[in-house]
Amino acid sequence: MHGLATHAASAIFGLNPVWIAVALFIATYALIMTDKINRAILALLGAGLLILLGVLTQDEALRAVDFNTLGLLLGMMLIVNITRHSGLFQYVAIWSAKKVKASPWGVMLMMTIVTAVFSAFLDNVTTVLLTVPVTMLITEELKVKPYPYLFAQIFASNIGGTATLIGDPPNIMIGSAAALTFNDFALHLTPVILVVLVATLIPLWFVWGRHLTTDQQHRQRVMNFNEREAISDVRLLKQSLTVIALVILGFMLQRQTKIEPATIAIFGAAALLLLDNFGKDAEKQSQKVHAALSEAEWITLMFFLGLFVLVFGLEKTGVIRWMAENLLEATGGDFKVTTLAVLWASAVLSAFIDNIPFVATMIPLIKAMGPAFGGDPALLPLWWSLSLGACLGGNGTLIGASANLVVAGLAERAGTSFRFVEYLRIAFPLMLVSIVICHIYLYARYL
Amino acid sequence: MRALPIHRTEFASLRGADVVSEATRRMLTHYVTDLPVVDDDHRLIGMFRLERLLGSLLPKAALIGFGLDDLSFVSDTLEHLRKQMRTVADTPVRQLMVKAEHVVHPDTTPVEIVLLLYRGASNIPVVERETDKLVGMVSARDVLDALQP
Repeated sequence: MHGLATHAASAIFGLNPVWIAVALFIATYALIMTDKINRAILALLGAGLLILLGVLTQDEALRAVDFNTLGLLLGMMLIVNITRHSGLFQYVAIWSAKKVKASPWGVMLMMTIVTAVFSAFLDNVTTVLLTVPVTMLITEELKVKPYPYLFAQIFASNIGGTATLIGDPPNIMIGSAAALTFNDFALHLTPVILVVLVATLIPLWFVWGRHLTTDQQHRQRVMNFNEREAISDVRLLKQSLTVIALVILGFMLQRQTKIEPATIAIFGAAALLLLDNFGKDAEKQSQKVHAALSEAEWITLMFFLGLFVLVFGLEKTGVIRWMAENLLEATGGDFKVTTLAVLWASAVLSAFIDNIPFVATMIPLIKAMGPAFGGDPALLPLWWSLSLGACLGGNGTLIGASANLVVAGLAERAGTSFRFVEYLRIAFPLMLVSIVICHIYLYARYL
Repeated sequence: MRALPIHRTEFASLRGADVVSEATRRMLTHYVTDLPVVDDDHRLIGMFRLERLLGSLLPKAALIGFGLDDLSFVSDTLEHLRKQMRTVADTPVRQLMVKAEHVVHPDTTPVEIVLLLYRGASNIPVVERETDKLVGMVSARDVLDALQP
């Protein structure tokens, strides 16, 4: 690796900072994959070591953290966690199941759509945490196997999450780094995602849907569910929906107002907290705010924090630039080839490795290719191919995305097992089909 | 300083092979919500808790602990719950028993027992240190009894 970091000062003990940065990144990553130590701990330790060993200064490290991404994540986490206490998710799930008269295939169809739509606007993990238990309750009442429904929900959450800026952390990161807005994602990704969703439902019907049957009396039990009872707090529900609507409106007007997503999300969260706490005494407010703040996924946020620093270590030492140069060499500098290579490579890799560190590394890499392709605006298709590949690839295996593991975990607790190979046998091909659709879309629209 | 025994030395217990219907009968006869489960040597092997039994009447999805804050939308009848009860009636209690979270010994001090009960323990088995044999049960009622003048 010649020419790397020749300008960077040598780090502690005179060691070449390149090796430290690479070693720390790989070690952190490898340890995360073994699941032996919590990922937040590892990311923070890795980031800390990067500074302690002299590769970065604290100042550089802090500047490397994308607080827009963190703020958007935190804001949406807070909003969702307050909203879920109103019973909204359960209400929608039951209402939609009754709309199709609790027919087994109808319920599967509805739960898929509901999960996809929720995932597009709220984070995937929380969406499945809230919709999977209700789904399992319904399948238990209908006396049908829950596995097909849960499988469909895994796909729905990852597919839906790809559709918007805020649906999935990779999109948030890409949007933030590439200055892409909510509307950009809606215009460029939502169309193909709708096609992918429909295309996914067809094989699901073939494999499971057409075999699902149940008795009228079981369907009647579900029809007897009173969804209005699922709403535990009507006032909170109205307030939450209003804030969510305004927040999304805020995202849509980003180009006009120049106000970035993190501000909108955090402000929305604060506003909702105010509404929820208004008029209560100080101690009660303290309790409620403490509870709301602690429900945010700090592990995820701290993981992101450390990760940004680790990736910047690779950037500063020139490793990213080196990788970009090699990628360009391998694809012969051909934009079409590069774009499609990013799509397929992201998809396959994301199926096995966590897409967040992957996207975090790819973002500066793609930016580094900007000059080669005629400037940043020309990179647009590359961003879409990264987003589609990284987000949809997560469907491929059980470890591809956090939502997958959460669903599997919930299922185990309720007595349904999710085997790695069993899942992969149907999921991986289905995921490849969705990538083929994206390939055709990217080629037709941009290349 | 040896404490006065505040536990009961006469109590109902179950064997692992006893079925749920037998267990519930004893619970109702002896007015207890939990019964200790012992082996042939009268050693404690677990607790059969009414709570756990009630849990087995619920849809499995409700036991996950997340996502279903309440079941108020399920308009169920007592008859349905009776049906559920009938399906578990012949299950041996060893399949539904849990490990005893708290265990005390004949020489455990009264104040320690009261603290455990205050923090939420309900029917605590009293077990001999060396042999693990179950020699008594102590509940809040027993403490109240022992405190009567």
